[in-house]
Amino acid sequence: MSEFRSSGKPNGKFDLLDHHGNRVSSETYRGLFTMIYFGFTNCRVVCPRTLAKLTLVLDLLGSVAQEIQPLYISVDPERDSPEAMRSYLGSYPHFTGLTGSPTEIDRAKQAFRVFTRRSDDPITGYAVPHSAITYVMDRQGAYVDHFLDSAPIDVIVGRLREIVAAA
Amino acid sequence: MSDNFARVGLDSVQVGHLRHFINLARQLPNQWDLMKGKGYGQEDFGGYRFQLAYMAYALALTHRHRLPAAPGVFKPVFELLMEKILLPEVWMYWRDVSRGGSIFNAHLAADYHEEWDPVRRDNIMYSAYVQSMALMYDYLFDDHRYARPGSLTFRYWSYFWGGGEKRFEYDQKSLNDHIYWQMVESGFLGIACEPNCVFQICNQPAILGFRMHDLVYGGNVADEVTRSYEEAWKQFGRIGRNGHYHVMLSQDTKTVRENVGRAPWVDAWSGALLNMWNRDFVRMHYPEQVKDLIKPGPDGTLSVVTSPRPLVMGQTIVSDDCDFGWVAAWASEMGDAETLGGLLAHADRFMAPCWADAGLYYPRNDQSEDADGNRTLIEPMSGNVLLGYARLNVPDGLWGLYNKPWDRARFQEPAITGVAQDIDVARACFDDASNKLHFTIARLQEAFGDGTVRIGNAVRRGLWALMCEASEVAHGSGSSVQYSGAIHVQAEGDDLLLRVPKGFSSACAIAFSSTA
Repeated sequence: MSEFRSSGKPNGKFDLLDHHGNRVSSETYRGLFTMIYFGFTNCRVVCPRTLAKLTLVLDLLGSVAQEIQPLYISVDPERDSPEAMRSYLGSYPHFTGLTGSPTEIDRAKQAFRVFTRRSDDPITGYAVPHSAITYVMDRQGAYVDHFLDSAPIDVIVGRLREIVAAA
Repeated sequence: MSDNFARVGLDSVQVGHLRHFINLARQLPNQWDLMKGKGYGQEDFGGYRFQLAYMAYALALTHRHRLPAAPGVFKPVFELLMEKILLPEVWMYWRDVSRGGSIFNAHLAADYHEEWDPVRRDNIMYSAYVQSMALMYDYLFDDHRYARPGSLTFRYWSYFWGGGEKRFEYDQKSLNDHIYWQMVESGFLGIACEPNCVFQICNQPAILGFRMHDLVYGGNVADEVTRSYEEAWKQFGRIGRNGHYHVMLSQDTKTVRENVGRAPWVDAWSGALLNMWNRDFVRMHYPEQVKDLIKPGPDGTLSVVTSPRPLVMGQTIVSDDCDFGWVAAWASEMGDAETLGGLLAHADRFMAPCWADAGLYYPRNDQSEDADGNRTLIEPMSGNVLLGYARLNVPDGLWGLYNKPWDRARFQEPAITGVAQDIDVARACFDDASNKLHFTIARLQEAFGDGTVRIGNAVRRGLWALMCEASEVAHGSGSSVQYSGAIHVQAEGDDLLLRVPKGFSSACAIAFSSTA
């Protein structure tokens, strides 16, 4: 029998390396909420802006932020080694960077239904325009909510407080 | 806007179109009389899915704007259309089309595979209609049946081939989420119809569905999607160098296919739907676009310029483009009475309008022109659905459905909540100020049915009096009913059940003494 039931939502599964070179998966972060953003370290506009914004969100959350593990997953596995991720995220210390092989990254993108497209860039050689979406997963790793790039900081802070309080 | 149309109700021609929708919806499962177009395998724009969906949209527009106090006319028909759009005959084409091999995706076909689930990948030309119809039903009738897990199930099993049952279970929430995330995966450029082919047109019903979702559940998915969609399409623009809407975008090369041939269906279908959330843009371009698509005929009639189909891979395309119907539907949304009137006058004169079982339609005709060069070609999609849609719509009708949330207080107001099959309703509106339900009904002579009309939310309003043609024919309170003449009336719970004799036709009103 061919049977399929879809909830439609991202399943949030991944199996990658963290920016210290440790093998991690979605199971690794069980017990914490995760706030996940996809990007690449050569991104010149969107990623710095979003990571700065999410850093502010985490600062505003105060002690609630301790319940949340921020993750930054690369969509550019060719250039984003664990070392490159660690170096880049020095400016955004709340975040743990995750990367992996192209196949592993493809799987993670599919799991989160992320859009990417490689295009030429005169400065960095190429860019990888990508979905600018922040995902929130619960303590079991299941999808809870997401925010588009345009979501105001106070809305994100308020919603994260709600999510953590409701758990 | 709607109040004026509701006060007037429907004329006999509009009632005829509505009755034809009802007649088609009431056909038995897999009975598709009058609905088969020229093309094979449900692949093209004449497919059953489009006829079913745009009948449903036309019902929604008519209920919202013209017969607001008659949910009982529309709800059962909507349910029948939902049943039909889930039938394998409607979606089985996807098993084949999903494999690719057209000139737009043959180079990618090695990576495609036969896909049975008709909504899992691409095929927004089907999935969005199921999603939007289910959520529209919930919004219009406050009935959550398609929210139940598995209520939107695509199932196929054959005694003769194919092994086990194919079964794919969704509901209005999970399907809506799935389509939303497909939008995300596309970078908000939109979801493909045939593999690699992203049509602007076919992503609009999904946006309508998102809006219905927000109206039912709250949230702002439609706003998010339209904002992101607009941003994503900025690099291509919506229209080409000749001022006409782009046909589609190739997913792999990110190149747009311009409407070089000025195909009327591209502009008209796009414009009619885009108007719901992008009205200023659509209206700005409409006058210049439509004048390229219209040609004058005798006595003020108007027809549509249709270019000959080009050969593709040395083959003649056999399909329904539905140009005439789409331009009429677009003109109705634009409130362009002159163009709409001219097109409908042409249809009435040259396209053999037909009344059958009290329903009005224009039967399929494959002959392009008559001896005098007047267009006679009409497809089932245009003749069954789109000309009726155009007559039943109001100016900015889809825009109003999308942008003006309908007050939920209507669910507590007196309304026609059920009608027998032999009852036509030409007017149904509740006037809050006078506390009166106005309705015009007719019982058909030849049709099957018992002539009943059910009025809901009625008995709780205390004393009531039923008038027909301004004469009182019944009154009552609670379970007590006094009536005289041909109309039989009884109270059932909170409902009044009217039974009218064959041939009855009258403008009626029920006046109530209290509001709760």
